[in-house]
Amino acid sequence: MISAQIVKNCLEELTSISKVEFCVQDTNGALYARTSNAEITDPGMISNFCRQAVDSQIIGDRYILKVREDEEVTFALTAIGSSDYTLMVARIAVSEIQNLMHAYKEKYDRNNFFQNLLLDNLLLVDIHNRAKKLHIIFTVPRAVVLIEIESEESDTNAEDFLSGIFTAHNGDYLTEVDENSVILIKAVDTTESYDQIQQAAQVCVDMLNTEAMLNVRVSYGTIVDDLKNLSKSYKEAKMAMDVGRIFYADRKVISYNELGIGRLIYQLPSNLCRVFIKEVFGDNIPDNLDNETLTTINTFFDNNLNVSETSRKLFIHRNTLVYRIEKLQKSTGLDIRNFEDALTFKIALMVMNYLKYLDQKDY
Amino acid sequence: MASLSLEHIYKKYPNGFEAVKDFNLDIKDKEFIIFVGPSGCGKSTTLRMIAGLEDISSGTLKIDGKVMNDVEPKDRDIAMVFQNYALYPHMTVYDNMAFGLKLRKVPKDEIDKAVRNAAKILDLTQLLDRKPKALSGGQRQRVAMGRAIVRNPKVFLMDEPLSNLDAKLRVQMRSEIAKLHQRLGTTIIYVTHDQTEAMTLGTRIVVMKDGVVQQVDTPQHLYDKPCNLFVAGFMGSPQMNFLDVTCQIEGDKACLVLDGKKIPLNAEKSKALKDGGYNGKTVVMGIRPEHMTDHPDRIKGAEVLFDAKINVYELLGAEVFLYFDLAGTPMTARVDPSTTARPGSDVQFAMDLDKIHVFDKETEKTICN
Repeated sequence: MISAQIVKNCLEELTSISKVEFCVQDTNGALYARTSNAEITDPGMISNFCRQAVDSQIIGDRYILKVREDEEVTFALTAIGSSDYTLMVARIAVSEIQNLMHAYKEKYDRNNFFQNLLLDNLLLVDIHNRAKKLHIIFTVPRAVVLIEIESEESDTNAEDFLSGIFTAHNGDYLTEVDENSVILIKAVDTTESYDQIQQAAQVCVDMLNTEAMLNVRVSYGTIVDDLKNLSKSYKEAKMAMDVGRIFYADRKVISYNELGIGRLIYQLPSNLCRVFIKEVFGDNIPDNLDNETLTTINTFFDNNLNVSETSRKLFIHRNTLVYRIEKLQKSTGLDIRNFEDALTFKIALMVMNYLKYLDQKDY
Repeated sequence: MASLSLEHIYKKYPNGFEAVKDFNLDIKDKEFIIFVGPSGCGKSTTLRMIAGLEDISSGTLKIDGKVMNDVEPKDRDIAMVFQNYALYPHMTVYDNMAFGLKLRKVPKDEIDKAVRNAAKILDLTQLLDRKPKALSGGQRQRVAMGRAIVRNPKVFLMDEPLSNLDAKLRVQMRSEIAKLHQRLGTTIIYVTHDQTEAMTLGTRIVVMKDGVVQQVDTPQHLYDKPCNLFVAGFMGSPQMNFLDVTCQIEGDKACLVLDGKKIPLNAEKSKALKDGGYNGKTVVMGIRPEHMTDHPDRIKGAEVLFDAKINVYELLGAEVFLYFDLAGTPMTARVDPSTTARPGSDVQFAMDLDKIHVFDKETEKTICN
């Protein structure tokens, strides 16, 4: 049902233009919305009017008109005044409210449609039929952009901030599947327009950061060429979100097409990961590498296994770095100055991150 | 208005990546602070930690003496302007600026006051009824800033707000932001990778690299007295020329030997090299392009001259860049447009010896400026 606030806003705007006061009551006569100076019509009178066949009545100093949705009477609108001018303005108000209700219903239906579409709850024939009814073009290149809100507490709705930018008019749709995420179905020019999707994702991050002050992470799937494949793009976006959270925590926008080695590790079954870790480290699994060691290893990798460059970056003597690397070699059996050992260690670190994530998830 | 204090701030991600390491900075009220550095140096992450959009792994952030580490972004009394701003296309300028406040259920009259005040500051009063499509790029950018101003925050955080604009508009907006700082009189923290923006806007600049603060100083001091090779190379365009030279000390006088030629240094520089025990060692000499000249008047009285063959000549109107090799190292000189040097011609260059910088080759730290 359309919100009373929206109806009230609409009536207030009409009153400020026409100077006619309005009141909207439901078919039982209960007040739904009214402008500040409007008097409520007697509930009994309203319910009586709603049962009659006439569309409008003049009672004393006021007109009462029916507001219908799909031919069914939903509300009664009272306009204070008995002139022809009042009747004309009341008719405009009825038309306005009916249009608002229609738009709301369509929007709600669209939401419902997209939610079911993304969750694979629709048959192909239903997708066609409902898309046609809702005026959604079937074959347009689109991708799903998943926006996850990471802020712990929030009294703002992310969708409100984005709905003004990504509009159905441009072929974009916003929907929510749970309270912490918003889904943007973004239409693009071609199936190769990944720049457009990336730009939209960046806009989502920056807009929600600056306007809503929400910390968000955004991922997106591949571009699909018609509606029936949209759920594939959604699943990819979800996977990209998971992989990004585990392996690329410093990135705010993650594309399914750029998941790197994280994509492979994410698909491995956990028992295989545990076997791999056991194979690499034996019983000395470096569960919790201390900060210093981890920083040393990461800096060493970032500097292409170059000892001089790494020691300079870490502001330590070259011999200190060599000592740390050898200490690591003693405890793990891997000499990260050697490319193959470095590769194994890097993958092992990523696998350990993944296992940690799985353990936390289970917990 | 606000002062900020960042004490031993670290940002470490769960995968072990350390984006920011031991960041210490005191920002005074009404300062215009610039974070500058190459991409991935941690400047945006630091800004996001100040905003509350990233957790601080360790360290303390204070705004006006109050610890803010666990305070929600909306309660920090800050406003942000980021790179990828978007205006609501179907709303007027007024509504665009008011939108955030409306959703936060701020009373109408307060919104109206805030929007009109921001419009006045940004010179947008005449455009309040226009839609974004009827605005120029610069006007749209000003509306984006207006959305931050209406919050009336203690601190403004700006993350490369001009990156999406073309070069001409960027120059124009740069001066607009400088004016805005004067009018608002608030503390601004501004992130950029563009050192020209940093030099022209900031009251102080924080140069970062690999998550570590390299130097915090005024633009002029940063340019004249860089603390290491990175800062010296990063600030200035074209960048400082660097040459490997040998330090030779005789008595109290030091000179740098380049390609068999001795470059004498003044007493202050000589003392620094002598005290550091650099005699006979290889050091890095730095000289800015504008401190090399081929002007006949300056050549006449010069103590040392270098011969070079010009590779490239670039005329920029008010100045000329000459590119050549010296002792096998590519060099740039910024000279007067009256120069007769052209590609292929042999030219003699003199250096302003007082402007020579010397760096330790191993630690890359400055020995003398």
